[in-house]
Formats: sequence, C-alpha cells, structure tokens
Amino acid sequence: MIGTWLALRKRGILGLNARNRAYIMKRNPRRRYPLVDDKLTTKQLAIESGISVPPLYGVIATEHDLSGLGDILKPYSEFVIKPARGSGGAGVLVIDGRRREMFVKTDGRGLPLAEIEYHASNILSGIYSLGGVPDKAMIEYRVRVDPIFDPVSYQGVPDIRLLVYRGVPTMAMVRLPTRQSDGKANLHQGAVGVGIEIATGLTTGGVWHSRAVQEHPDYGVPLAGIQIPTWPRLLELGAQCYELTGLGYLGVDIVLDRTHGPLLLELNARPGLAIQIANRSGLKLRLDAIDAQESLPETAEARCALAVELFKKPSHS
Amino acid sequence: MRVSAVFVWAFIFAALGLGLAGLKVSRLGIPLDPSAEATVWDVEARVTFQGRGLPAKVALALPGAPRGFAVLDEDFVSRGYGLTVGKDEKATPEAVWTVRRAGGSQALYYHTKVYPKRDQSRAITDGPPPTFPEVPEYEEPLASAVSALLARARAESADVVTFTSLLLAALNNSDDENAKVILKSATAEQWPLLLTEILAGARIPSRIVHGLALDGEFTGRELMPWLEVHNGDVWQGFNPRTGQPGYPTNFLVWKFADRELVSTKGVSNVSVTFSAAQTPMTQLDVAQRVDSKLNTGLLTLSLSELPVATQNVYRVLLMVPLGAFVIVIMRMVVGIPTFGTFMPILVALAFRETRLAAGVALFLIVVSAGLFIRSAVTHLRLLLVPRLTSVLVIVIGLMLAVSLISNELHIEQGLSIALFPMVILTMTIERMSIVWEERGPANAIKEFLGSLTVAIFGYFAMTEEHLVYLMFVFPELLLVVLSLCLVFGAYTGYRLSEIVRFKDLAKD
Repeated sequence: MIGTWLALRKRGILGLNARNRAYIMKRNPRRRYPLVDDKLTTKQLAIESGISVPPLYGVIATEHDLSGLGDILKPYSEFVIKPARGSGGAGVLVIDGRRREMFVKTDGRGLPLAEIEYHASNILSGIYSLGGVPDKAMIEYRVRVDPIFDPVSYQGVPDIRLLVYRGVPTMAMVRLPTRQSDGKANLHQGAVGVGIEIATGLTTGGVWHSRAVQEHPDYGVPLAGIQIPTWPRLLELGAQCYELTGLGYLGVDIVLDRTHGPLLLELNARPGLAIQIANRSGLKLRLDAIDAQESLPETAEARCALAVELFKKPSHS
Repeated sequence: MRVSAVFVWAFIFAALGLGLAGLKVSRLGIPLDPSAEATVWDVEARVTFQGRGLPAKVALALPGAPRGFAVLDEDFVSRGYGLTVGKDEKATPEAVWTVRRAGGSQALYYHTKVYPKRDQSRAITDGPPPTFPEVPEYEEPLASAVSALLARARAESADVVTFTSLLLAALNNSDDENAKVILKSATAEQWPLLLTEILAGARIPSRIVHGLALDGEFTGRELMPWLEVHNGDVWQGFNPRTGQPGYPTNFLVWKFADRELVSTKGVSNVSVTFSAAQTPMTQLDVAQRVDSKLNTGLLTLSLSELPVATQNVYRVLLMVPLGAFVIVIMRMVVGIPTFGTFMPILVALAFRETRLAAGVALFLIVVSAGLFIRSAVTHLRLLLVPRLTSVLVIVIGLMLAVSLISNELHIEQGLSIALFPMVILTMTIERMSIVWEERGPANAIKEFLGSLTVAIFGYFAMTEEHLVYLMFVFPELLLVVLSLCLVFGAYTGYRLSEIVRFKDLAKD
C-alpha cells in the first residue's frame, strides 16, 4: 500500500484532494462556474467568440414550452435533448431517426412524443441538474461522428476530453461509448477512455472502469495508434476556451463531427482524473511543467505550440 | 502561503481547546475519566452543654475556608435554636446559636464536607507577615533554663527551621535538666503557648493553630494544637511534642489559638468533640461543587447549569461534530462514497436511539421496500416534487407498518423506527434509485453500503461513552475538532481508494 502510494507520488499522479485544493480552488474562481455549469450559457459564449458548437434547435425553459416540443422537433429526425445543467452525461437523450410516429433512440428503441415530453419535463424539474435546481432542456444538432471512431465505438457519440491548464492543452483522451454505457461517452457509465498524445494526436492505451485496457471491451480491436483528424484545430479550440471562461483548470469536451469538424460540446470546471489512467501518465508532472514556465503565451495558438513542445514525449520517465 | 496559514489556525484552535481543557483538569480537578472517585471528608463538630433554663448563647468558631481544603458543603443541626453565621470581631467565621430557654442536656451540630486539595504543600502565608515578638521576661530558674536552651539551639542551628527543630527536640528531651525545669512550669494545655513564648525569646514569630488530622475515621476527638513558626517568608508547621517539622496528613486547621473554640452564655458543662467520616464522591461532582463555592467562572459556564432537557440536547449535539469528523476522514482519507455529505450522520443519530443492530435492520428494510415501490412509481411518470412527496408518504407508511407489525410481534426495537429522519430516508431512496437507473445497481449498492459503513463508524464515534463525557464536560474540545478539520481541509494526499483506483499507474 505504502509502496503504491510512493510510486504514485513519484509519477506525479494527481489525487482528488490535491486536484480540488491545489488546482480547482486556486485556478477556478467560483464566480465563473455558472459559465460552464449551464451549457446554454457556454454555448452562447462560444458562439459570440466564434468557437464552433453543435447548432441549437430549441430550448424548453418552462412546462408551458413543452407543448411546443413537437413543433420544434418537426423538421428534425435526428437530435439530442439534454439538460443545460446536467453532469456526467445524465439525462442526455439521443434520437437518430424516426419510425412512423416514433422517435428512435440510438439503441433502436422507439419512443412516442409523450415519452420525449416526459423526459424534457424531468429535465425541467431539475432531476438531472446539480442540486436538483429547476433546469432547461436543450434540443440541438445530433453530431454525426467522424468515421475514424466507428471501429471502436458502440453507437453514441465519442467525445474528446481535453484538459486545459492555464490555457495550455495538458492532457487528452477520447471517450468511446460501449454497450455497457448505453452509447454514452461517460466513463462512470462504462465508456472507455483512450489517452491521446498531445503532440501528435495519436491514441495510446485505454481505461475502462479505472482499469488500464488495450482493446475495446465490445469489439476487441486495439485502442492505440488511431490518429485523431484535425488534431491541431482541436487543440486550439480547447486552448481558446481558457479566454472564454477564465477557468485555469478546465475540462473541454469536444466532438469530431464528420462535416463540421471539432465542435465544443461542453466545459467542465471539475474535470476528473481518469484521464491519467488513459494516458498512463501523471497529471501533476505536466501541470508542474506548465507552472515552471516564466510566462505563458497570450494567444491560443502559441499555447498549443508550447504544449506540443512540452509534451513531445511521454512525460513519465 | 495558504498552507501555513491553515496550520497556524489549526494550531491556535488546538492549543486553545486543549489549554482550556487542561486548565479545567488542573485547576478545578475535573477528571478526564468520568468514573474517577475522590475521597471527601465529612467532619462533624458536636457541641454539648447543660442548659440552666435561662436564655442561652453558644458561639462556635468555624474553619471557614480552611487552607488545603475545599469546602463542598456546610450545614447546621440545631433544632429550636436561632442561628446566625457570621464573623466575629477578629473576622473569624463563627456560628452563633441562641435560644430563649435552654434546659437539660443539649447538643448542637455543625457538619462540613471538605475535600483535600492536591497541592497540600502550598506555602502558608495567610495574614500579613508577623512583627517580631517582644522578648518575654521569666522568673528564675525558668529564665536561665530558657536562655541556656536558646543559646545551645542558636549555636547548633543554621536557620529558623533548624533552630526551632533543635529547640523543640531539646525541650522535649526529658533527660535534659533545663527542659525538666521548663516542662514542670506548664500544664499540658499551656505547653504549646509556652513554646511560642520561648520562641519569642529568640525573637522568632510563632503561633499555635488548632485542627484535626483527617488520617482515618474517628469520633469524639478534640482539636489538636500545632505549632507554626514564621521563617520570614512563610509559616512552617512543627509538631509541638517532638519538634518534627511538617504537618499531620490532611491537617484541617479549625482555628487559631487566639480564638476560643466555643464561647457560651447561660449554659454550663460545655464540651466540643469532633468526628470525621470518609465518603466517596465522583471527581466531577467534587469539581462542580468546588467551583460553585469558589465561583471562579470557569465552570460556571458549564453545560450542567442548563436545564436537564437542554443538557440532553447538547449531549447529542456536541457529538455531531465528531460524527461529521468521521465523515471527513472517510471521504478525504479513505474515499468512501456516500449519498450526500451529512446523510450518514443523520442516520447514525437515528442508530443512537434505535441501537445499532435494530437500526441497520430497520434502515435496510425501509430503504429496500422504498426502492421497490419507487421503481413502481417510475412508470407513472410523476414530476419531481410530487414524486418525492409520494415517496415520503410511502416511507412514513412503511415506518408505520414496521412499528405496527413489530408491536404485534412484541419486537420493541421496531417501534423506534419512528426516530429515523424520514426526509433523509426519502432522499436516500430517491438518490439511490436515480443512481441505480443511471449507473447501474452495482454503483447504487456501492454508494449505499458506503453510506451505511460511514453511518456505522459515525455511530460508534458518537456513542463512545467516554467521548460523550469528554465533549459534554469539555465543550472546548470542539476547537480541537475544528482544528483537525482545518488540517484535513488542507490534506492533499491520496485517498486510500485512489491507491486502488490508480494502482495500474504504479506498475511499469
């Protein structure tokens, strides 16, 4: 036990207590949390700053709006309904087609409109939001994921988590849905996290239920060696989110749309630590490397260059 | 740096809390162990006399606040007599009994409960330092005998103490011719006073005190004279018979020689006898009585001054921080997941009332039954608040059912389910069913067991009797808990659960 403790320390593995106290409390001013806790606010901010996001189809803010849900959905056969203040992918409903009067979920189950209204109503009542406060339901573009992930993704939308520290992309992983996660890219629900080299955009090993894995649990295909397309653009998008929010320790969730390229999905002021297992690398070493810089560049582009320079090789040694 | 500020505050709080508690232990003698017992002496003075059918007045000198002892209680037994307790013209405490007509043999009693303080050896400096006495004049052959002894003692001694010891030893030596002369000149009663006169011949201030040696239980004793000599700074005791310095064990000084023990008017055959008995008393009781007598204020802020019902509330409330501290440890250091931050303490508080085994059983019954019904409710697609309320109604119904059934089956523990915080139960069921749906039964059960484990640990911390006693008697220990919370608030080490979680990263 003590041996493991010391080994983790030596490799700069960041623990929750240290993350909360030394990074989140120090770098993330509380008053900026609302910017990321509400995805609607984040989306509006991102649009103002010219950061690409999945297009918004509509917002259900009150029970009264529910009656208009059918009208909002009419033009679309594919869409996503999610709570503006949800966390961990809870309450996200993905519809990827229509069958007669039914909306078809990604797992093929058909839902009547009433079921979708009930879901939206649940969102409004705050069941998925932090602290149970009343919430809004967002209806937005259903991302069509870049085919690069098709062999390693069970339905759903894989997303890329970029950890951005003081504006510098620090660590990255892609979260691949599995059968167990019900198509959700949420590690808690059983999605696989796969580490990505910051400098190259190449995937390394994976993490599944906090255990290091090399193959996709559903398909058995190797997880390493996938080149994420448009990686430099993706890094830069992540780095820009620092200016957007002013949060120094930020988790940026990005999806790779096959037509629109990298789109900002959501931001997280308390990003988790599983990313370390996916990358087989301690976050603390990288955070220290960034803190060791005398000054950090002003522009997102320059910060990405710095990240590529700093994290060219696997930092554990 | 922030870290050091935290530790400075933590240190200040801990020092303050421990310091206050330490002060109470050392100054007021409040025991750290609630069962510690102290020996308290019950001393009784019995005044007997013959009434002559005339108005009678009996004044008895009282020990007041005797040095080396704390007086816990005093009372007077004197049926039919008027009693005034006050001070005489020399400021000595006294009790004065008066009656219009006293006939036949009469007895009056004075009781005092005294507790020997720990620091019996404290220097005696009561009163202003005495002036040097006048050298008395003696008749021959007494005068030459006294001066011969004084001269010898002076030659062989170094200071007042050795001088007095040598002189007393010589005086009590029946082989010495000079001593024989002196001894013959005084009766046994006069002897101690003669000693002070002789010492005055060497210009050494001395006095005689009368007291009781509480060395065992006794009855029918009289006061014992003891010699005290002033060495320039403090009074020092000597056995007037042997010249041995020091005092008898537990020497209770009743009065000084210049005050009569008892003075009477209108009665005859007066005698005063003393008896003493030991009674055990818990140290806490002693401490509280000592404090209320001395009114030092340290303990007057004690919780035991509150009404009993309020006391009982605080007996529980003061344990809540300890329960919360268990949660701090479990979450910050061990990393056990729980439903909500303080839910486990509230459950642990309920366990306090129901006892552990029954509590856990009832908790499991209600939560699992509630979960089952909650899953049925899911299909009805109720909105959040009405759904929560429905679950609440169901929870109360379940509690009622458990109580009724266990009453029918004569299982008493089942009745105590009413003590469970129903809102907490409701929220637990709701949270658990959401986690169950979202993250699967494994996670829900894991979090539930985590909460239950923490609640059980919290229960043990909150019901530890010694801890309950300490928190109640030394509420300042809250500051120590606060200080520990500060320390853990700055803890950035791994949680034990993370050692497991990241164990793959420790390997090569």
